[in-house]
Amino acid sequence: MERMNPYYPIPVKIKKITPETSNITTFVLEGKPIEFEAGQFAELTIPGVGEAPFTPSSSPYDKDLEFTIMKVGRVTDGLFKLKEGDLVGVRGPFGKPYPLEHFKGKEVFIVGGGVGFAPLRSLFLALLHDLKSYKKIYIRYGARTPQDIVYKHLIPEWQKIDRVDLLLTVDVGDGSWRGRVGVVTVILDKIPVDVKTSPTIVCGPPLMMKFSTQKLIEAGFRHENIYLSMEKNMSCGLGKCNHCRVGKFYVCKDGPVLTWQDVKDIEEPFL
Amino acid sequence: MKSYLLSPDKLLTFVKELSRDWSLFFPTFEEGKTHLVRFDENSPFQPGFDRIRTAENIKQFFFPVRGTVAKFPKDEAIPVEKRYLLGVKNCDLKGIDIYDRVFMGWDPVDPLYKARRDKTIIISADCPEPEDSCFCNLLGLNPYGDAVSDLNFTKVGSGLLFEAFTKRGEAIINAYKSLFVEAKEEDEKDRKAAREKAVKKLSSINSKPFKKDLPDRVAAADRERIRDARDECVECHACLHSCPTCYCFLLGDYKRGKDIERVRLWDACYYAAYARVGGGANPRSRIDERFWNRFQCKFDFFSKYEKVYACSGCGRCLLGCSSKIDIREILWNV
Repeated sequence: MERMNPYYPIPVKIKKITPETSNITTFVLEGKPIEFEAGQFAELTIPGVGEAPFTPSSSPYDKDLEFTIMKVGRVTDGLFKLKEGDLVGVRGPFGKPYPLEHFKGKEVFIVGGGVGFAPLRSLFLALLHDLKSYKKIYIRYGARTPQDIVYKHLIPEWQKIDRVDLLLTVDVGDGSWRGRVGVVTVILDKIPVDVKTSPTIVCGPPLMMKFSTQKLIEAGFRHENIYLSMEKNMSCGLGKCNHCRVGKFYVCKDGPVLTWQDVKDIEEPFL
Repeated sequence: MKSYLLSPDKLLTFVKELSRDWSLFFPTFEEGKTHLVRFDENSPFQPGFDRIRTAENIKQFFFPVRGTVAKFPKDEAIPVEKRYLLGVKNCDLKGIDIYDRVFMGWDPVDPLYKARRDKTIIISADCPEPEDSCFCNLLGLNPYGDAVSDLNFTKVGSGLLFEAFTKRGEAIINAYKSLFVEAKEEDEKDRKAAREKAVKKLSSINSKPFKKDLPDRVAAADRERIRDARDECVECHACLHSCPTCYCFLLGDYKRGKDIERVRLWDACYYAAYARVGGGANPRSRIDERFWNRFQCKFDFFSKYEKVYACSGCGRCLLGCSSKIDIREILWNV
């Protein structure tokens, strides 16, 4: 399909900036420059700095487009200097969405680590939009410390929802933390879903992805039901620049979510 | 379509006619290498069709080293020059074929690449004298032009023998029919003989074929076996930047007053930061991983994805290599 210049980012203003943690912030963009489905990503342009790929953290059904982003490099440093009302650019959506049709009628088991909860939030909100279609939604979320938990104010609300089971853990607690302590895999010891049929979705930093996936395989999830967010260097988002190629996949086009079945023969797929 | 003969004394007239409305680039031999230069009526016209491909690869005409792809916040159309490329050799046509697949075959179509392809007419030439660095025959290719170009010509005893592969090629012959004469049987025999001679020469340069299961061998290669070559690599990236089939690129943004210019730059998978993500993880942090990635991309991934190797055997990589690593040696031994 031929379309308009695929390298041109649509200009859009930042509507609202909400810090989540010391280095993670949610940016709400004005209006909705692109339509997307949960799991797809966009390239965000910081004028004069560059572009980087991010998966929206908002629901595809929201009227605004939101990204929850961690400050880790050149582009995000530039983004964190911007103010509400400043202009950014958006290209997308890119990649394939989560196959929600396959999730219907099943228990959905979501595992997140750190800022990896951002794209999972978009998936979670898309599931909530049609909650009756799913048996139950489980979320297992780990952060480094209580201060590193994103969406602190939203989580208690989500925990009240019938058919949502959300557990949190932190690697290291503090004086005020009354919850679980330990890396996210400690809350994967007991998996209360039918592993033979349920999909499980994982997103987080490389080590968390590696060990969580191991646990989920050991628990008996089918390899084709383990959905993994692959973080790769992506420049074009169009399956052309070659940066994100892993084995036979262009993560920007065939992913960004691939299954364990897809990537298990790849050496160190999470790096 | 029939073949048509252009006598040597009519070549300059033909080139002048073509260049009236469009730019024209032709190969010329200078200081031991062939280069593609812009035709200018006021400068001497000394074409060099007898040697191998040009030193520079042809992709720069469709995919500049550094080319604007968008402007922000207001996008502007990027002007594209209409031109003829004369005397392109088949190894470069195969490079264009790879580019066509990536930028026009795979969704979405890259509009700027397509505009450059649409506005370029390629008149290819047979490669009569392959050199020691050539190995297109090992990849199942021939040293003469085919359907990727619009027109192709072969140097025969009585002139240049043209054949058209596209409607645009036919239109050129028809437009300048007064300059051509219909080929005789003898001309076609000459062409056949010239091609057989070139193929024979290639076979003597590269008598040992690559193994039939090369993609699987590359996929499963024991990296220890390529250690000598890898250890010699000084990461100059000449092999990748001179390659007509390498299509990696990086988008970069530059401030131009209040506006932003987005440029597409040639990239190369041997750069250490090529696959590194913002958070610091790098799937190919070691040179041996990056070194072999090039082989996996060209001979495993691309051949399985598109059923062709992303290599045309032009030999620029081995001539450009600071350590004189010969890609053939690696592939023979894999």
